[in-house]
Amino acid sequence: MLRPATRPALAATRQVRQCAARFFSSPASPDTSSSHVHSPSTTPKANPVPPPPNSKSSTSSSKGKKPLTAEQRAFLSSALRVNQAGELAATLIYTGQTPPLVTRDPSLRPLMKHMYDQEAAHLRTFNDLIYRHRVRPTALYPLWSVMATGLGWGTAMLGKEAAMACTEAVETEIGGHYNAQIRKLLEMVSEWEAEGYEVGAEFRHLINTLRRIRDEELEHLDHAVEHDAQKAEPHWLLTGVIRAGCRGAIWVSERV
Amino acid sequence: MMRPSSISLRRSARQILFSSVSSVSTIRAAAPVLTAATHRSLSTSTSTSTGSGSGCTCANGSRRPQVKQTQKLQQQQQRQHRNAYHSYDHPSSSAAFTPVEESILSAAYQHVPSHGFTPSALAAGARDAGYLDISPTILPEGAFALIRYHLVKQREELAARVSELFGGEGHVGARPGLSEREIRGRVEAVTWARLSANAQVIGRWQEALAIMAQPSYVPLSLKELALLSDEILFLAGDSSVDPSWYTKRASLSTIYAAAELFMTNDHSPEFMDTRAFLNRRLREVNEVGGVFRNLREWVGFTATAGVNVLRSKGVKI
Repeated sequence: MLRPATRPALAATRQVRQCAARFFSSPASPDTSSSHVHSPSTTPKANPVPPPPNSKSSTSSSKGKKPLTAEQRAFLSSALRVNQAGELAATLIYTGQTPPLVTRDPSLRPLMKHMYDQEAAHLRTFNDLIYRHRVRPTALYPLWSVMATGLGWGTAMLGKEAAMACTEAVETEIGGHYNAQIRKLLEMVSEWEAEGYEVGAEFRHLINTLRRIRDEELEHLDHAVEHDAQKAEPHWLLTGVIRAGCRGAIWVSERV
Repeated sequence: MMRPSSISLRRSARQILFSSVSSVSTIRAAAPVLTAATHRSLSTSTSTSTGSGSGCTCANGSRRPQVKQTQKLQQQQQRQHRNAYHSYDHPSSSAAFTPVEESILSAAYQHVPSHGFTPSALAAGARDAGYLDISPTILPEGAFALIRYHLVKQREELAARVSELFGGEGHVGARPGLSEREIRGRVEAVTWARLSANAQVIGRWQEALAIMAQPSYVPLSLKELALLSDEILFLAGDSSVDPSWYTKRASLSTIYAAAELFMTNDHSPEFMDTRAFLNRRLREVNEVGGVFRNLREWVGFTATAGVNVLRSKGVKI
């Protein structure tokens, strides 16, 4: 399947990803980025069982757990809010892309379904997290819904290459965005550990969830590049515009 | 020949006045220093600014800007906490009041049924708690602090009452199996539990509502209302995180405020009329919401069907 022209690009994304994985792995919890294409993590019930509150405070260590500061809470709120908005948009992009793409090229059906199922599982995960941690969802929900559906449908109407370029652009931005969040969370955790505080299972769990989701998003990036994303005309314009739009949407969703 | 005597009279009157003023000002100076000292040990940003604010009172007598600053600071802090990430493993200290404020307010709260939400209830509370009568000046909001104390305490106690109500699993109602109907029932029950908590101060609640409606207190009162409706929906187990998150909170806040007002004039046994009122309002909102839901569903279905018909005719969309 792999055409010679796309191979260097594919290798490049892999390299970036391995680099990132090495950088972000911590000794406390091994990185899961080696899980690869078609990993078994696509089961419909991807929602992990929420740890019951107040159940794991039994381990008595040095100092207990440090309360979150106001800035940390603000960071976590905006992180979860923007992640939910992003996964909502991703689900709708694939929903919009699938019918025009599949009518042209029925062989894409399993791939689109696979990617959609993963995004829907991510959305469920974040919906659950937002509810459990009592974070306000984004107020621009209807706007993101309309824009994402339009983007998905529009790029699919431009052709398979454009649709894949859209996926490539979106997933590149999202991968970087998740990496930034994971980095910040790991900083928080290492700070706590350096000060001798315990770190709750809630945080380890959150970091692992974000890692898993980031890997799946980057897997979509690989799929897109494999399916001629870089042959879109004009590739630089499409990806540039979509990436700028993504960054803008992330910036807004973190605040509103 | 009356003159000298009148002058001397006036002078002596002025002296008396001056001495009384100065004695008042020494008392005023003493009380804040005392409270400021206790406060500074707590070293929260609000309490230190309160301390320095009252310190300035004796220096130049301009208290107002300091109070404003304090209020702004408090509001900022509270705004940061609104709908922020709620951690179970690393809970933030959510104390709305400092220990000194807490001790004065909890003692003053006992006097509310007899004295109302007034400065005299605060003074009586301060005396009970072992402070000077003047010490409620550490509460920049005065009588409103007592109202806010009621609102905050009743909201915080709601979780415990709900777990009694629903048998131990009230907190984090994250049971995914709850149906829309069950959630509606739970919302009604939790809202009623909160309204019943007003029963002990219901005779004074109209005054309290009047104070809450004063322009300077409206933002804080509305914020408390928003926090309450968020708490009710969370405890009831409503897990919607789409735009209905906003509409549900808005409509519940309206209903709660209306029911509270209704309750102040309700003389039926055990506030039966208020409960009926609450049920009617909730049902109405549900009916209106149902109409909107049906409309949206119909539009969505028609649009999808239309697109599919076009696709089946060979239009490439």
